[in-house]
Order: sequence, then structure tokens, then C-alpha cells
Amino acid sequence: MTITRRLALSGGAAALTAGLPGIARAADGRVVIGTWGGDYGNLLRQNIDEPIVQPKGIEVLQDVANADPRKTKLLAERQTRRGTFDVACLSDTDMYLISQQNALQPLEMGKLSRADAIIPALKKPYAIPHIYSALVLLYNPAKVTTKPTAFADMWDPKYKGRVGFSDILYNTNTLAAAMAGGGGVHDYKPAEKMLMEMRKLDAKVYPSNEALAAALKSEEVWLTPMWLARGFMWKQSGIPVKHVVPKEGAYSIVFEAAIPKNARNLDNAYTYLDAMLDAKAQTGFARQMGYLPTVKDAKLDADLAQEISLSEEEQNRLVTPDYEYLQQHLNEYLDFWNKQFKA
Amino acid sequence: MAALILPAGLLVVLLMVAPMLLLARISLNQFSPTEMMVEAMSPENYIRAVQDPYYRSVLLTTMVVALGCTLLCLALGFPTAYWLARMQSRWKSIATILILFPLLVGNVVRSAGWIALLGNEGAINAALRGLHLIEAPLPLLYNAFAVVVGIVAVVLPYMILTLSAVIEGIPRQTEEAAANLGARPLTAFRRVVLPLAIPGVAAGSVLVFILCMNAYATPVLLGGPQFKMMAPAVYDQFVRGNNWPFGAALAFILLFATMVLTLVGSALIGRRYRR
Repeated sequence: MTITRRLALSGGAAALTAGLPGIARAADGRVVIGTWGGDYGNLLRQNIDEPIVQPKGIEVLQDVANADPRKTKLLAERQTRRGTFDVACLSDTDMYLISQQNALQPLEMGKLSRADAIIPALKKPYAIPHIYSALVLLYNPAKVTTKPTAFADMWDPKYKGRVGFSDILYNTNTLAAAMAGGGGVHDYKPAEKMLMEMRKLDAKVYPSNEALAAALKSEEVWLTPMWLARGFMWKQSGIPVKHVVPKEGAYSIVFEAAIPKNARNLDNAYTYLDAMLDAKAQTGFARQMGYLPTVKDAKLDADLAQEISLSEEEQNRLVTPDYEYLQQHLNEYLDFWNKQFKA
Repeated sequence: MAALILPAGLLVVLLMVAPMLLLARISLNQFSPTEMMVEAMSPENYIRAVQDPYYRSVLLTTMVVALGCTLLCLALGFPTAYWLARMQSRWKSIATILILFPLLVGNVVRSAGWIALLGNEGAINAALRGLHLIEAPLPLLYNAFAVVVGIVAVVLPYMILTLSAVIEGIPRQTEEAAANLGARPLTAFRRVVLPLAIPGVAAGSVLVFILCMNAYATPVLLGGPQFKMMAPAVYDQFVRGNNWPFGAALAFILLFATMVLTLVGSALIGRRYRR
């Protein structure tokens, strides 16, 4: 192989930048990701930051908090010129609420090389889908011996005192109750009667998903509505649960990422969104967190697919949130959850 | 001389008075699920909060817990403070540090410790079950009991240190004189030490009561989802419900209730022991 002058020059330049990573990085700057901590934050680091984004010379900073404080931050910063986040990660419902408040910028799909790989049903003008899952009923197969088929089975008096809820999931808990009572995504009203009945059945409410997991593990509670993906993680960690996709419907959740209006590092934000759609990164999330890929070309191993995917028949039962209904009524149902159900 | 308070004064104006004025303004706005907040000048949020039995019961719970914790701190703190104040040995500084020790651990970390101790699978229940004293775990966590225990553990050092500073200023000779004149120790305490220590009792109680009224981390972590105090309720409105105007109104109601109870309490103590 002959070494041309051009090759030598470019090689030298590469060696220079490789030797001076600090300088190379400073030129490209950083990107600030507003995200959950814990598993989600760690997996972002393992699957996206380290293998894809950092090698491009972009420093990735995570601003870690639960969804609620980050939503508040996005809303409070709407009028400011320079926002905190370059990329905001939220659930689809939250993301819709935030986009309605004019806090996000419309995405230029042309800037995303992976835009065409996105599953069409999950596309939005203001956010990319990152991972998704469905709301299922988790049960302890040793205690609940007749396999449940519906959310309504939680109201069986046999299971008095054995149904648990995570307080932070008041929205989906209320929906599960609504579905069990004949309502659904467009009508939460039946949840009121169902939840009050559940209260009489001595339902337990736990302050966090982790506290609920501990209660499932100690077999204090046997049944709970939960995201399929989280059920998968719990199963992996030895918690005795199985899942059924309830016959009332499989409510979907998509975790999305968007760029706030006042993001400071716009180009890096697009680079980051693109990396989130990378097929390999998506498979990594599925393997470790049990969420389903949102791009068409991410392949799952057969054993994993069996655990976390929905069968075709189950997919037909998928229902998406009615964002507008939620925006109008979520506050009401938070009040109901706090004042009537929990009181 | 006035210049001396300028730096602190500026900080207070900038970091406390200004945000509070802003919050007061927000509390008069109206909530809208689509626009978050609509400019208004209406007392509606205050009226709603006062009329809603849920928030009345939350406020009542908060006051009962705060008052209970204050009395408990007083009962537990006075003997310790007296012992500390009358201590002569070189161990005194070590004892003071030991009393301060709980304050070196953050609220959240401390609560995690209580959870490990009080939970259904926690140390106490595990031990009782291991000894076959109980069948089902005792409900020690996620109730008022856990919150009171947790809060008292945080605020007790404030009470002890405030009281002991005042008791130290009461000359020992007064107690000796009382004994000389035939008073039994309990009478001497009741008629001599306690009246002289009243400024300390008042100061310590006010300090502790205010801390209890505004407790946030402990009620959230140890009270669980079904036990509500005011500070977490304010947070819920701001962060979970996105209803800033109502959250601001609740915050001012909490502030007002704390102020009124503090003033009434100090006035009562003062009148009882004026002479």
C-alpha cells in the first residue's frame, strides 16, 4: 500500500484529534438529556451515549429526575431563551401535554437518518418513539390458580386485600378500573364506582413501583396492573409473576424523546435522537428492559420476543391513549385517586 | 450599624420576599388544563381549599401531627437537656456532638433507615416473626405512627439544644435554695426550674412546631400514599397536578396556619408564666 500525501495528512489529523480528545470534544460541545435515572438512564448510557454519541465527540450530560419535575421544568422554562434540556424524554401522554403547551419544536424529519425506520403507527410530528409496551395484568401463579383473563378479575372477592397498586401509576390504575367497569380510554367515569368497590376490597397502595415489587415478591399482594416490560424485568429478578394481556384491551405506552423549543445544542440533539433509533441500541433496550423496539429493523431473539412481544391477536387489542381526553380530565382523576380512593 | 444587616437583608428580599410575592400573585390565577394558568384576580382557590373537606382534613392531620411531635419532643427533650446543661465533665462536648449526630444524616437517608427497620419485611417484623411472637407483620410503616417517629427523630436535637442553652443560664443556686427551704426535687422543678426555663420551652417549641408543620420528606417516605400532610399536598398540586394556582393557595394557607398557631402558642405560654 502506498502512502499518499493526502492519506498521510488525514492520518496525522486523526492521530492529532485522537491524542487530544478534550479539544476535539470542546469543538463539538455537549448535549443535555432530561431523563429518568435508574435503569433507563443507565441503559441510555450503555446503548446510546457510550457506543454511538460520545465517539462523535459529543459530551452527553443527563439531567436526572422523575417525569413530573421535568415536565414542570419544561413548562416553567417555556418563555426563557435558553432551556435546560436539549432532549426531553417522556411518556407519550406527558409528551402530548407538553407539546400542547408549546414547549417543543416540530421535528425536521429530514435531519434524522433513521426517520424512515420508525413504525408508522408510532410517528409523531413533535417527538420520536423510543420504546413501547402495553399495560397488562400481573399475577402470582402460585396464589392465583385460575389464570385471570381480564382486569375485572381483580374485583373477585377471593382476592380481597391481595390487589396492589403503585401510587405513581394513578393514571393507568384508574384506566384499568375504567376498563373493568365497561369504560375505556375515552371514558374514565366507570372507574369511580369500580375504585370505590376496590377500596372496600381492601386494595393496597404502594408509594413506588419498587415498593410494589417488594410486596409482590413477599407475596403480600398477588395482582396488579403493570407495564408488560416492567413485569418482564421483575420476572428476571425472581419476582413470582406472570402476565395476561387483559381481554378489555391492551393500553399502549410509548416512551418518546423530543427537542424543547429553547434547546441550546440543536444539532447534537438531532444526533442523539437518531442514535436512539439505532437498531442495535433498540435491541439492547429490549433485552435489558423488556420494552419493544419502535423501529422496523430491530430484530429480537426468539426467546425474548416470546416474553415481551404481543401475539397478533393481542396486538389487535392494542388501544392508544386519548390524549385530549386525558388533558381535560387527568387532573380530575388525580383528585379522585387522592381524595376518594386513597382517603 | 444598619449596614451590617444589608447583605443578609438583600438575600432575604431577593430569595424569599420576591418569590413569595410571585407565589401570592399566582395563587389568585385560575387553573386551566390546556394553558396551565390563566391570569385572574380571584380568591377562588382559597375558597375551594377551605371548603374542600379533603384539604381541611389534611390541614388538621398536619396540625395534630405537628402538635403531637412538639409535645413529645418537649417530654423527651427536657430531661436530656437538663442532664446536658448540668453536666460538668469533659464528656459534655462529646454528648453535645452525639445529640447533634442525627442531623448529620440527610432526611431521605434517615427515612430509608426507618423503612428498613419498620417495613413488613423490616428488621422489627422479621425479628418478631423469627421469635414466633406474631403471625402477620405489624403495620409499622406507612401510617401516622411511622411519620411521628420519623419526625421526632429529626427535630428532637433542636429541642434539646435550645432547652439546654436556657437551662444552663439558670443558676444552680436557685435549685439549692429551693431545697434548703424544704422543697422536694419535683416541687423545685415545677416551681423554680420550669418557670425560669419557659423562654427555652417557648423557643424550642416554636422552632420544632414550625419544622413539623412544614415537614416534607418524612411524611412522603414514611407516611406512604394514604397519609397526607400539607407540604406533600402542595408539592402534589404543583408537580403532579400542574395546578400552580391551587398549590400556591395551599402554600399560603399552610403559612398562615403555622403563623397563627405559633403566635397563639407563644402568647399562651407567656401569659401562663409571666409572673
